[in-house]
Amino acid sequence: MSERMAHQFAIEVKDVSRVYPGPVPALAAFDLSVEYGEMVAITGPSGCGKSTLLHLLAAIDTPTSGSVIVGGRDLASIRDLSAYRRHDVGLVFQFHNLLPQLPALSNVALPMFGTHRSARQRKARARELLAEVNLGDCEDRLPTELSGGERQRVAIARSLANEPKILLADEPTGSLDSASSTRLLELFERLTNGGTTIVMVTHDSDVAAHAHRVIEMRDGRVIVGASTRL
Amino acid sequence: MTFFDLVLRNLWSKKARSIGLAFAVAIAVMAVVTLEVTSSSLEQSAAAIISVGKADFTVAQKGAADTLASTIDVDELARLRHTPGVASAVGVLVETQRINAENPVFIEIGINPSDLRAFGVKIVAGHHYSATAEHEVMLGWTAAANLGLHVGDRFNANGTWNTVTGIYSTGNAFGDAGAMFPLPAIQGYNRVPGIVTLAFVKVTKAASITAVAARVDYDQPELTTIRTAAQFGRADQDLVYLQAAVNGSTVLAILIGAVIIGNTMLLSLFERTREFGLLRAVGWTRRRTLGLLLGESLLLALVGATLGVALSFAIAVVLENLPALKGILHPNFTEGAFWRALFTALVMTLIGSLYPTIRAALLSPLRALSYE
Ligand SMILES: Nc1ncnc2c1ncn2[C@@H]1O[C@H](COP(=O)(O)OP(=O)(O)O)[C@@H](O)[C@H]1O
Ligand SMILES: [Mg+2]
Repeated sequence: MSERMAHQFAIEVKDVSRVYPGPVPALAAFDLSVEYGEMVAITGPSGCGKSTLLHLLAAIDTPTSGSVIVGGRDLASIRDLSAYRRHDVGLVFQFHNLLPQLPALSNVALPMFGTHRSARQRKARARELLAEVNLGDCEDRLPTELSGGERQRVAIARSLANEPKILLADEPTGSLDSASSTRLLELFERLTNGGTTIVMVTHDSDVAAHAHRVIEMRDGRVIVGASTRL
Repeated sequence: MTFFDLVLRNLWSKKARSIGLAFAVAIAVMAVVTLEVTSSSLEQSAAAIISVGKADFTVAQKGAADTLASTIDVDELARLRHTPGVASAVGVLVETQRINAENPVFIEIGINPSDLRAFGVKIVAGHHYSATAEHEVMLGWTAAANLGLHVGDRFNANGTWNTVTGIYSTGNAFGDAGAMFPLPAIQGYNRVPGIVTLAFVKVTKAASITAVAARVDYDQPELTTIRTAAQFGRADQDLVYLQAAVNGSTVLAILIGAVIIGNTMLLSLFERTREFGLLRAVGWTRRRTLGLLLGESLLLALVGATLGVALSFAIAVVLENLPALKGILHPNFTEGAFWRALFTALVMTLIGSLYPTIRAALLSPLRALSYE
């Protein structure tokens, strides 16, 4: 029982700090717990550490101190972080999400290299995902032939390629029109209903309002919403 | 959606860069292969001389500048014949002469008629010359066919007209394309009485070839024994230098090519580093990411090598038909030349892409992503 209690959160960030060269740490004594199937919106002024938090959760950055625990596993103890990045989390960057030389379909298929899927299955799955974000007819377009919003949706499709338990999205609606935003939030809702945990950074309070919980950050710390589900 | 698709896409999306790199590889490969096949041509002709006669091993003067400059005198030949285990030692004088534009390096062999059988010569028409005749000759069957000469015709060589007494066959293409003269006659023309170029040795049934050759090497240190093409350098310093020059040029071509490739790769380091960061962020392992870069390099190398060999074929045809080289150069596209092409291309691209590759491997995903 106590074992289960220790693992009840999808994400636990414990006393994490991330210090870059500079006067203020990007994250300082940061604590956060997110439950399975919860959608959390993170807001706060630019430079307060939102992206840094996502990067730590995605294991493409490491904390200066403290621990990041995902699905009960401390990331610091994971040997094969590539496999973690590939299977356990999906990450949508704020910028520069796509490889410019690859068409949308190939970009979506990238995380599926090194999985059990065959070339044919990768293609089929990538098609399915593009259709899911309403880009079924953009398969062969290069990123330069897509609008900002379309590129972002391709990135979202890619982040879902290996059905991650955790979805991390940095300003996913940043360049989407309101219709696309609504559709994306519906997709997120479906995902959380299916048990996916979502941590999304957003500036848009209307978007944040769709989350189960809104966390407000400032200067690398949580001001509002650290651990209580609203 | 295969890995190879990604490799192709990456190269294709930077067409100008890829074509430029493939050409850099191709030019280097062309230079190396052309050198190799032309030097191999010379080596082949030279090596053919030592195997022109039937023998267990051939004896030449040690360290001669080239095979035809080797000299063995009467005493040395006599000692050779008396070496235990030696059944026969046929001394022949070999020289080349320009007959006409089609035959700029016609081979002429001076040999005693009594040695013809041991040397492996079969007379297919007419009869052999007499031992001391001054104006008699036998033609190899391909030479006779090429020159359109028959038994009884006259053949101009060494400044005189010689009567063709017979047509012979040795089974050696090089020998069959030449002519044989009485040994004293050809020694006289060349003003080297008593001197032969090479000795073709057969050992007795009971003796071991290796042991007899070793004995000769020991007894007559001024001579050297040759059994294989690889031992050829013992009698032909020119070929040793030539091969060294070819190897040196290969290294040079590889270095120059690598610098060009490395330079081009460095120009795209910025975009590529970000690309690798992204791949790592979506769960690609270091190995897979490196594999992508290596796959691109490999494909470039293969395309460049193929192109380079094709260019080299074209150049060989031109060289072969150049008036100055006609008949001398028979570019010899051996298997070794293709391996050298592949080796050159691969080493060049690998060295050239070493830095970007190592960089991509060492940077953390986030560092790579925010690389400016
Ligand atoms: N790679 C880095 N090197 C140095 N400083 C960085 C780096 N990444 C982020 N920072 C700094 O950390 C702080 C938080 O950045 P970030 O997490 O990107 O903020 P947000 O996403 O909330 O705008 C900022 O002050 C930023 O300048
Ligand atoms: Mg940010």
